[in-house]
Amino acid sequence: MFSLALKEIRFFKLKYSLIAFILFLMASLVFIVSGLAQGLSNDNIAALEDMSVARFYLQEDAENRLDQSGYIIDELEEEIPREAGWQPLLTQMYRLDAASSETLLDVTLIPIDPEAFLYPGVIEGQNLTDSDALEIVADQTMKADGVEIGDTLYEADQDLTFTVVGFTENQTYRHSPIIYVAESAFYNLDLTPHQVANAIVIEEVNQELQADINQVLNDGDWVEKDAIIQAVPGHSSEQMSLMMMIAFLIVIAVFVLAAFFYILTIQKLNQFGVLKAIGAKNIFLVGATLLQVFCLTMISLILATGFTIFVSNILPEGMPFEFDLSLIASYSIIILIVSLLGSLLSSTRIVKVDPQQAMGRTE
Amino acid sequence: MITAPLALENVTKAFKDGEQYINILEDISFTAEKGKFTAVIGPSGSGKSTFLSIAGALLTPDQGEVFVNSQSIASYKDKKLANVRLTSIGYIFQAANLVPYLKVNEQLKLVAQMKGDWDREAKQRLGQLLESVGLKARVNYYPHQLSGGEKQRVAIARAFMNNPDIILADEPTANLDQARSDEIVALMAKEVKEKDKAAVMVTHDESLLKYCDTVYRMEQGKLIKGR
Ligand SMILES: Nc1ncnc2c1ncn2[C@@H]1O[C@H](COP(=O)(O)OP(=O)(O)O)[C@@H](O)[C@H]1O
Ligand SMILES: [Mg+2]
Repeated sequence: MFSLALKEIRFFKLKYSLIAFILFLMASLVFIVSGLAQGLSNDNIAALEDMSVARFYLQEDAENRLDQSGYIIDELEEEIPREAGWQPLLTQMYRLDAASSETLLDVTLIPIDPEAFLYPGVIEGQNLTDSDALEIVADQTMKADGVEIGDTLYEADQDLTFTVVGFTENQTYRHSPIIYVAESAFYNLDLTPHQVANAIVIEEVNQELQADINQVLNDGDWVEKDAIIQAVPGHSSEQMSLMMMIAFLIVIAVFVLAAFFYILTIQKLNQFGVLKAIGAKNIFLVGATLLQVFCLTMISLILATGFTIFVSNILPEGMPFEFDLSLIASYSIIILIVSLLGSLLSSTRIVKVDPQQAMGRTE
Repeated sequence: MITAPLALENVTKAFKDGEQYINILEDISFTAEKGKFTAVIGPSGSGKSTFLSIAGALLTPDQGEVFVNSQSIASYKDKKLANVRLTSIGYIFQAANLVPYLKVNEQLKLVAQMKGDWDREAKQRLGQLLESVGLKARVNYYPHQLSGGEKQRVAIARAFMNNPDIILADEPTANLDQARSDEIVALMAKEVKEKDKAAVMVTHDESLLKYCDTVYRMEQGKLIKGR
C-alpha cells in the first residue's frame, strides 16, 4: 500500500510536485498569517496575559478598559493594607527621547512595587529597587530601537530622565513596550498630590477582600483578565480579521484540495478498476490514496514550516511576527485533516468503481 | 462434488437494452479442467466477455451457480469476491492494463503483496516467470517503455504470479499483429501446460485455435462445443 502510493508519486513527479507546491503555498500563508496574528496579539496584550492577576477592579462605565478607569486610592491605602493581597495598577503613556533613536519612543510607564506580584522580573541587567532614583526596566523589544542597559531616556513634558537598568520579556501593551519604574521613585516626582490607579488588582480570587475593596471605593466591578484583554483597543478587531483570513484560507484549501484529489481520482478510475479486477480490495486502494495525500501534505507542511522560519528571519526587526511552533503544529494538524477529508470525499468514487470495466466491454 | 477448478452451472444473465431485458447468457453450463486450454469464439456482442466476467468473479449471474475450486461464489460479497480474484484467478485482458507507474518486476510484486505473500519463494517465482516470458532484460522498464507484445507478456506473467488455478484471457491478442499474436498465445499455452492451469481464452482470431484443446462457440446466449 505504502510503496504503491510512493511509486506513483515517484513516477508522476511533476503532477505531484505541483499539488505539493500548492499545498505548500497554502500552508505557508496560513502559518505566516497566524504568526502575524500571534505577533500582533503579543504586541498588544502580552503583558496582560503574563500578569499574575486574577481579577481587576475597574469603574463601571470604563467598559473594561484600563485607560477609561481611574481611582484616587488614598483612602483605600489607609483602610486596607496592601498585604491583604491587592496592588494598584497605573498605566501612563509616555513618549521618550533616546539617543539611539531619531523618533520619540512610545512606551507605557507602570509604577510598581518591585516586591509585589505585579512585578515581572528582568531577564537581563538589574531588578528595580525601592529607591527614589528614576531607574527603569524596559521590555526587550526596545533593544530594536538601540536602547541598551545604562542608557538614559528623556521625557520632555515633565523634564524626566530615566535610566535603563534591566530588560524584561513579554512586557508589551497596546503595541508599545512597558517600562517599569519603582513606585517610590514615581511618587517622589510629586506629579500628583494623590495616590492614583487605573485599576485595583488581586493575585487570587478572594471574595472577602473583593467585597472590602468594593466597600471602600464603591464605584466599580471585579472583572476577569480575559474581559480586560478583549477590551484592549484593537485587539478583538485585529485578531478577528486575521482569524477570518485564516479560516477563509482553510476553507479555500478544503475546496481546492478536494477538487484536486477528485480530478486525480477520476483520472485513475480505470486503473482502480483494473486493480480491483486483479484482486485489490477497496480498503487497499482507498488506503493507498489516503497515504499518498498524507505524504504529500506532510512534505508540504514541513517545507512550509521551513519557509516560515526563513520568513521570520528576514522580516525587519520591529515587525510583530511570532514564530510559534505549537501554533504551527496545530494549524498543520488542521490542514492535514482537511486534506485527508478532501481525498476521502473522492474515495467514494473508488469504492463505486466496477472491476468488470477492466474487461473493456464492447458497446 | 465438482473437481474442476472452474465450473458454471445453468448460468443466465440478462442486460437491459432500452425498455426490455435481453438474455445475453441463457442456461450455460461449462467446466474448465486442469491443464486444458479452452477457447471461446463468437461474433462481437454475443456475450463472450460477459461469460468470462461471470466465470472470473467480476460479475454475478442472475441465475445459476459458479464454482471456483469447488466453492460456490454466488453468495459472495465484494470483499470475498476480490479475494477469489486475487488468489484463484489470473486475468489477461485485451489491453495489458498494467499499472503505468510500476516497473515490470513491481507489477508482479504488487499482486503478491496484495495477497500478503511476498517472500523468498515469491521472489524466485517472479524471476522464473519473467524468464519464461522472455523479459528478464526488461525488469526495470516502465510499461511505456515496452512494446505491445512485451506488455502483454508482463500481463501473462502477472496473471500467473499468485499461482492461481484458473487463467482467464479476454481477447489477449486483439491489439497485436499476427506474428505477435501467435507468439503470445503459444506462450500462454506453454505456461498453462507447464503449470497445469485451467485456462479459458476468448478470441475471434480463428488461426489461434490450434493452440487450444477445446473450442466453444458463443451463439444466441448458448455455448456450443466445436467451431
Ligand atoms: N453492464 C452491461 N449493461 C448493459 N448491457 C451490457 C452490459 N455488459 C454487456 N452488455 C451487453 O451484452 C452484450 C454482450 O456483451 P459482451 O459480453 O461484451 O460481448 P462480446 O464480448 O462477445 O463482444 C452486448 O450487447 C453488450 O452491449
Ligand atoms: Mg468482449
